[in-house]
Amino acid sequence: MKIKILLRGALTKYFNGEKERIVEVPDGCTAEEALKLSGIDWTKIDNFGFVAVNGMRVMITEKLKDGDELKAYSKISGG
Amino acid sequence: MKRLRFSKKKCIGCQLCGQICSATHEGAFVPSKARVYIETYYDKGGVLKYQDSYCTLCGICFKNCPTGAISMDGKILVDHEVCIGCGTCAEKCPKKVVRLRDGKSYICDTCDGDPMCVKVCPQNALTFE
Amino acid sequence: MYGYQNKVLRVDLSKKTAAAEPLRMDWAEKYIGSKGLAIKYLYEELKPGIDPLSPENKLILMTGPMTGTTVPCSGKLGVAGKSPATGTICDCSIGGHAALRIKYAGYDAVIIEGALDKPGYLLIEDDKISFEDASELWGKGCHETEAILADKYGHEYSVLTIGPAGENLCGMACITSDYYRQAGRGGMGAVMGSKNLKAVVVKGTGGVKIPNVEEAVKRILEIQNEDVLQEDNTFVFDWGTTAFLEACQDGGILPYKNFSDTTDPNWTEYNGEVFMEKLEGKRGCGSCGLGCGNFLKIGDAICEGPEYETIAAYGPNAGNRDPEAILKANQVADDMGLDTISSGDVLAWAMEMTEKGIHDFGIRFGEMDTYIKYLEMIAKGEGIGKELAMGVKKLAGKYGGKDFAMEVKGLEYPQYEPRGSWGMSLAYAVSDRGACHMRAYAPNEEVFAASIPPYTPEGKGEMVYKLAQHNAVKFCLCICDFWGTISMETMAELMSLVTGKEWTVEEIADVGTRVINIARAFNQREGFTAKDDTAPKRIFKEALKNGPAAGQKIPEEAFEDMKQQYYKVLGWDENGLLPDSLIATL
Repeated sequence: MKIKILLRGALTKYFNGEKERIVEVPDGCTAEEALKLSGIDWTKIDNFGFVAVNGMRVMITEKLKDGDELKAYSKISGG
Repeated sequence: MKRLRFSKKKCIGCQLCGQICSATHEGAFVPSKARVYIETYYDKGGVLKYQDSYCTLCGICFKNCPTGAISMDGKILVDHEVCIGCGTCAEKCPKKVVRLRDGKSYICDTCDGDPMCVKVCPQNALTFE
Repeated sequence: MYGYQNKVLRVDLSKKTAAAEPLRMDWAEKYIGSKGLAIKYLYEELKPGIDPLSPENKLILMTGPMTGTTVPCSGKLGVAGKSPATGTICDCSIGGHAALRIKYAGYDAVIIEGALDKPGYLLIEDDKISFEDASELWGKGCHETEAILADKYGHEYSVLTIGPAGENLCGMACITSDYYRQAGRGGMGAVMGSKNLKAVVVKGTGGVKIPNVEEAVKRILEIQNEDVLQEDNTFVFDWGTTAFLEACQDGGILPYKNFSDTTDPNWTEYNGEVFMEKLEGKRGCGSCGLGCGNFLKIGDAICEGPEYETIAAYGPNAGNRDPEAILKANQVADDMGLDTISSGDVLAWAMEMTEKGIHDFGIRFGEMDTYIKYLEMIAKGEGIGKELAMGVKKLAGKYGGKDFAMEVKGLEYPQYEPRGSWGMSLAYAVSDRGACHMRAYAPNEEVFAASIPPYTPEGKGEMVYKLAQHNAVKFCLCICDFWGTISMETMAELMSLVTGKEWTVEEIADVGTRVINIARAFNQREGFTAKDDTAPKRIFKEALKNGPAAGQKIPEEAFEDMKQQYYKVLGWDENGLLPDSLIATL
C-alpha cells in the first residue's frame, strides 16, 4: 500500500532535507515499520518525538491503511 | 584582502559580537569598549532598523592619521605610543566604528586575521572574506 | 563569585532616593539569580498580607551572573513581585536587552519600593539615577512611549514600560520592552502602575568580569556551536513558536473555543507557514543565539509575533481562523501592555457566557472586530472593559460560569489542554504563580517526546517536579526557555566558568528544588494550601470530543492523586504545606 511520510523538525535530515515522501509499504504495516523501511529507526534516535496519522497523534505501533499520512516529529521543548 | 562583511538579513541583534570583541581585547565583557557596534532596533515599532558599525578596512583612518600612528597591512593597528588622540580617525570613519578612549584611538584589528566576532555570530551575519 | 556586580540598586519612589547596596552574596550562593534570588529577596523583605497594589509591594528586576556575557541565550531579565492577579509570588522573564543594560550599568538588580506621587519614570545611566516626569507619557500606549523615549535618549537605552493596562491597574497588565517583549503574567504591569511608574529607562557602559576570560570564552563558544546551534533548538529561528501550533494540533492539546474541545480541522489557515510568509525580519534578545522573534506585517497589522500562546488564544480558542485578526489583536495587546494569554482566556469565557445565554458580554466566538475593540477597552478600563479587566476568576465569581473559567489561583490557563496531557493539570495547579506553563511544561514529556502515557496519573508527580526543577534552575541563570537541549551538566559547567566557583550538578539541581520550595513558602505564608491547587471543573466533567484525546476527561480522584504525589516528592504534607524544618533551610 502507498502512504505519505512527513517529517518535522530535526528529522528532516533523514530525507535529506525533504519534508515528505510517498513510500510503498506492506499491507497492515505499523508506523514503526514504515519509518524503519524509510531509514528511520526511532529506537536509535535520541531526539525522536511522536507520530501522528492523518493529523492525530498515535502510538508508534499503530497499524496503517492505504493512503494514510504518517507524520513524525522530533522532540521540541519550550513553552 | 579579506575584510568583515555583514548581512543585515541574517542579523538577530544579539550583540554577541560586541561582547566577545571586548572580552578578547579588554579582558571583560564591556560592549561600550568594543571595536564593533552592531545592533538592531524597532523604529517606532514599525520598522526593523540596523546599526552596523564595523571596520571595512577602507583605510580612511590610516590615510588621514597626522602622526602615522595607524598602520594598515591587511588589518589596522594603532600605535598608542604615537597616537596623540586628535580624533581625526574617528571623525572620518565612514562606519562610525572608530572611538577614542582616554585620549587614544581604538580600531578593529581583525583579531590578527581571525575575527572573534565572526566566530561568535550565531547566524553567520558577520563573515570575513 | 565572579560574574556578579555585587551591587543592588535600591530605589525608593516615595522618598525619591536611589542607593547602591551590596548584593546578598550569601543568598546568591543558594539562589543564584533572576527567578530564585528575586523570590528570596521578596520572601525576606515583604510582610505577608500586603496589598500588591500598595506602595508596600516591591518590584524586583533581577539579572544573573551570566547576564552580559557571551553565554548564549542568557539575556532574559527576571521581574518579580507579589501578584495583583493572584496574591501569590510572581516572577516573569522578559527578553529584549534591558537585562544586559542593567548589568552593564553596574547592578545585579534594581529593587523598586514605594510609589511616586505622580506619574514618572526612572532613568538609570550607570551610576547616575534620576526621577523624571512622565506626565506627557501617561495614557500613551507602550509603542508610542518607547518611540518618544527612543527619540529622547537613543537606542543604547533600554525601556521597560507599561501601557494603559498597567496604568489602570489591570491584573492582566504586563511590562513591555523592545516594543514586543513582555514580562507578561500576573499583572506585573499593574504593580508598576500602582507605583505611578510609567517606565524604567536604562543605559549601561560598564562590563562583566569572569575568571580566565580567554579560556572561558573559547569553551562557551564551543558550547554554543555544539549544543545551542543544533536543529533541536534552531527551529525557533526558522519558525519561532509558530512551530508549536502543528505539534499541539496533532498532539491533541490545542484548545478550541474556551477549552470546550481541542483541535481545529482548519488549523492550516493560521499555521506557521501562513505567518512566516509575511516575515519582514528576525530578532532575538541580548546574547541570544537563536533569534526566535518574527517581525511580520499582514495588512495593517504589524507585530513581532504572534507567539504560539497568542495564536491559540486569539485563534481557535476564540473561534477565530483569521491570521490577520490574530496579528492585529496581538499588536493592540502589545501596545496596550496586556497579557495575551489572560486576555484571550477572559474573552473566550465571555464569548461562551454570551453564547450560553448566562450573561451577555456582547461578544461571540469569532467576532474579531469586537475582540480587538474589547482588548483596548479592557486595558483602558472603559465600558464593559472595566468588568472584563477583573480576570476570569473574579468575573465567574460575579456572574457564574465557574466550571469553564479556566484559571488557577486567578491566573488564566495557558494554551495547552490538560485533558490531552494530564500532567499539565498538575503543573497548572501547583505552579507558584497560578496556572503557568513555564514551570513544568508537561507536554514535553507526555505529548512531544511520548516518554510517558498522557492519560493516566501515574508518575506525574515526579515528572512535574523534575520539569519544574530543571526550569527553575534555568531561569535562575537567566537562560531562555528555547535553549531546550540545555542539561544540568551544562548549566553547572557554565556556572563554574562564569563565577569561578565549582558548581556540581547536585548543587545546581538543589537550587532548583530550593526555589520551588521558597516560592511555595511565600504562598503558604499568604494562606495558600492544597485546596488552592485547583483545576476548572470542565476538565473533570466534560470529555473531549475531538482529536487524539477524544473521550478524555480527568477523574477528580486522579487529579488529587497527582497532587499528593507531587507534595510527597517535595516533602510537603497532605495539605501541600512545607514543614517548619524545610522552611528553616531556605
